[in-house]
Amino acid sequence: MRTRSLLKISISGVRGVAGEALTPQVVTSFAAAFGTYCGAAPVVVGSDTRPSREMVSEAAIAGLLSVGCIPVHLGIVPVPTLQHHVRELRAAGGICITASHNPAEWNALKFFGPDGIVLRPNQFAELLDMYHQGVFPRVAAQEIADVRTDRSAAMRHQETVLRAVDSAAIRSRGFRAVVDACNGAASKSAPEFLRALGCRVEELSTDEGDPFPREPEPTPHNLGALCRRVLETGADVGFALDADADRLAMVSEEGNPLGEECTLALAVDHVLTRRPGPVVVNVSTSRMIDDIAARHGCPVHRTKVGETNVVARLIECGGPIGGEGTGGVIVPAINPCRDAFVAMAFALEALARAGGTLSRLRAGLPSYFMVKERVQCRPRDVAPLLRHLKGIYRGRPLDLTDGVKVVWPDRWLHVRASNTEPIIRVTAEAPAVEGARVLVRSLMEYLRPGMR
Amino acid sequence: MRGVVGDALTPELIVNFASAFGTWGGGGPVVIGRDTRRSSSMLRSGAVAGLLAPGCEVIDLGVCPTPVVSFAVRELGAAGGLSITGSHNDARWNALKFIGPDGTLLNAVKSEELLDIYHSSGFASAPGNAFRPVSTAPGVVDRYLEHVLASLDAEPIRRRGFRVAVDFCNGSATGIMARFLGEVGCTLIPLNEMPASQFAHHPAPTIANMHQLVGIMKYINADVGAVINVDGDRIAFATGQGTALSEEYTLPLAAHCRLSRRTGPVVTNLSTSRRIDAIAGRFGQTVIRTSVGEGYVIDRGLEEGAVLAGEGSGGVASLPGAMTFDALQTLGMVLESMATTGVGPGDVVDRLPHLVMRKGELACSTDQVYKVLDIFRDAYSERAPDLADGVRVEWDDAWLHVRSSNTEPLLRVIVEAEAKARADALFEDAMAHGRSAIHARRED
Repeated sequence: MRTRSLLKISISGVRGVAGEALTPQVVTSFAAAFGTYCGAAPVVVGSDTRPSREMVSEAAIAGLLSVGCIPVHLGIVPVPTLQHHVRELRAAGGICITASHNPAEWNALKFFGPDGIVLRPNQFAELLDMYHQGVFPRVAAQEIADVRTDRSAAMRHQETVLRAVDSAAIRSRGFRAVVDACNGAASKSAPEFLRALGCRVEELSTDEGDPFPREPEPTPHNLGALCRRVLETGADVGFALDADADRLAMVSEEGNPLGEECTLALAVDHVLTRRPGPVVVNVSTSRMIDDIAARHGCPVHRTKVGETNVVARLIECGGPIGGEGTGGVIVPAINPCRDAFVAMAFALEALARAGGTLSRLRAGLPSYFMVKERVQCRPRDVAPLLRHLKGIYRGRPLDLTDGVKVVWPDRWLHVRASNTEPIIRVTAEAPAVEGARVLVRSLMEYLRPGMR
Repeated sequence: MRGVVGDALTPELIVNFASAFGTWGGGGPVVIGRDTRRSSSMLRSGAVAGLLAPGCEVIDLGVCPTPVVSFAVRELGAAGGLSITGSHNDARWNALKFIGPDGTLLNAVKSEELLDIYHSSGFASAPGNAFRPVSTAPGVVDRYLEHVLASLDAEPIRRRGFRVAVDFCNGSATGIMARFLGEVGCTLIPLNEMPASQFAHHPAPTIANMHQLVGIMKYINADVGAVINVDGDRIAFATGQGTALSEEYTLPLAAHCRLSRRTGPVVTNLSTSRRIDAIAGRFGQTVIRTSVGEGYVIDRGLEEGAVLAGEGSGGVASLPGAMTFDALQTLGMVLESMATTGVGPGDVVDRLPHLVMRKGELACSTDQVYKVLDIFRDAYSERAPDLADGVRVEWDDAWLHVRSSNTEPLLRVIVEAEAKARADALFEDAMAHGRSAIHARRED
């Protein structure tokens, strides 16, 4: 029997297969709840390029209008652009319609507060309470607002990022760059942005109307086409974005994917050179960050996985940079969220400053190998499984910030429940790829009996 | 499907009904249009989302009269249409009008199918996430105008070049009406022509809402005046001298125009004035009566091969060209008749038999309605009442109709007679009867 896929509600948003779990009914009510949470004020709405975007956007707008909000419709925009625009407009909040790295048939609502930051867990809990109460203060016909459209978000976001780097130095290098936007939300704005930085840009998958040409996650095995194009065109760098442009991966001039963990590592090294301070990353992020921070004499704080957790901690400790190893770079002073535009700008600035190639820059960073696995797991089975693991690894140093992380002097193993899918993520990192594989394999052995 | 926007008419309800309608239409393309109400853009968003979910392509005509949505459904071969409009209700209200693939409002049987889907929540979802886009239909308004013009003898109208005053009540018909009148060489004197969510007056085209129009008529030297409702399906006329003609006269007027060119029966509802019988009689045509509601009269009209269907509310469809009530088409017929016969609306009305109508309503909860109607049926049993829609009783010089409202928890009482005293007596009698029946039911 084929069962309907389920809605997945977490601090990363409300997601599901569009039309199946994420129905327009659910979206309308969630938007009405969020509008209630925000109050009768402007709320920014934007989406990535998924086929369900109009269905979900219109449902969200209907829900917002019903409780007296003024929806400001940005159309197709990257998530960081929307987050930036919430602050620019001093809006009461924002809804971004994107399932980020999930396959095309998925979609999700991501909710942002007036600071442009993903709702924190306590705020999200409040929103959920309002949703479950199900009674929203609907306004009368004459108090329903007009929907505003605003096409200035991309330009204003780019201006902010351009001001934060030495644009002149980057422009003087006249880089040749290939950008693979996965036909996603940055299809127009990412090439535009790189041209503003003086790059000669080669575009790959920048058709907003077309389906995703690859899995949106910018992991190395999804980047074959980009690697080839970089080699063909003799480009200095290849940039790969996910569908909503919060994550970035890079390809060197030799056509090699650096691995998405390198995006943050490179940015951290670059930023700490000028502005030392604490670095915040999640527990599943590469140890490269610790090594780099140590070189600069800076501490590293680790949080639970999820942008909101990293941003909250960054703001708390006043760190200049943080992020997530999956290619999300966060520089609070520019835009307090994962921002692929910031990541691209810093990568180019670092290249311009170093004067060499991207592979040379990469060679200057520490080297580890990461292996990732995923295991289907019902949410109710997660806690018993983690308890079981704690027993198995008793005696080893454990980090229980998010799931279970087992730490050895030069390697680690991390097991946690996904925020976005009913799965368990298993990640291991070691100095050599075989070491990481052994860790994952041994864990998978443990998991099987544990799950039964 | 109508309600007061706010706690009653929520976007969730709209999404569900639109998803049910999209499912009913098998996921085929659906044309949507809306009136100028502030709430209509919210309903539009909900309807678009609800239609896209089951895989429908949405063809959005924007702000647009209901008859144009109906035409576009047929023209584009769509699976259905949704007109988002509170029509003749005031600005607090809004509603969805569901239009089938033939361009008519869903009749009782089709509405039941739709409701069954709605209540089962068994909505289709786009197969394999293949959501269709929202598109537009440029040119469909042009083709609608061509269609209306083709149904008229436009040349005589052009020769006369009438001055026509129209009160649009800030609704959706302004642009298209201006183009139409331009095409037939008439000068439009517009009133309340700016599309707006605040209406200058209540949108029902009744005498009470014609003060503004009538007030200016004698100063503007117009040949005829008209007031139309916000979604352009109902119309009432005023003479060039500034006499307001009740919406009850719209159907007889249209019949006068239509029957002088085409022969065939006329369909109207059981609550409409007998003046239509007088006009039809003059042309040797019959009048067929149905339950109250646009869907009923047009469906029956198509079934019977009628040339005209309409109601006393000012809604008229010229069959088989129009599939919904159409104010623009109705005005066109009247202008054509004025041009070809030289007879204006005032003259036609003057020659109608003198009849007096009384209308009233009695608050009556839905659970009581049928019991109270049974009491009426028994009270008038010796006159063998027609029970197709409530209780309708006929005399040679009068008739009485008591029925349950389709939209509110009340009974409507309508009486028409040749003499005022007779109308008053029948009306007061029926109201008293109704009050005591309702009172008796409450005592139970």
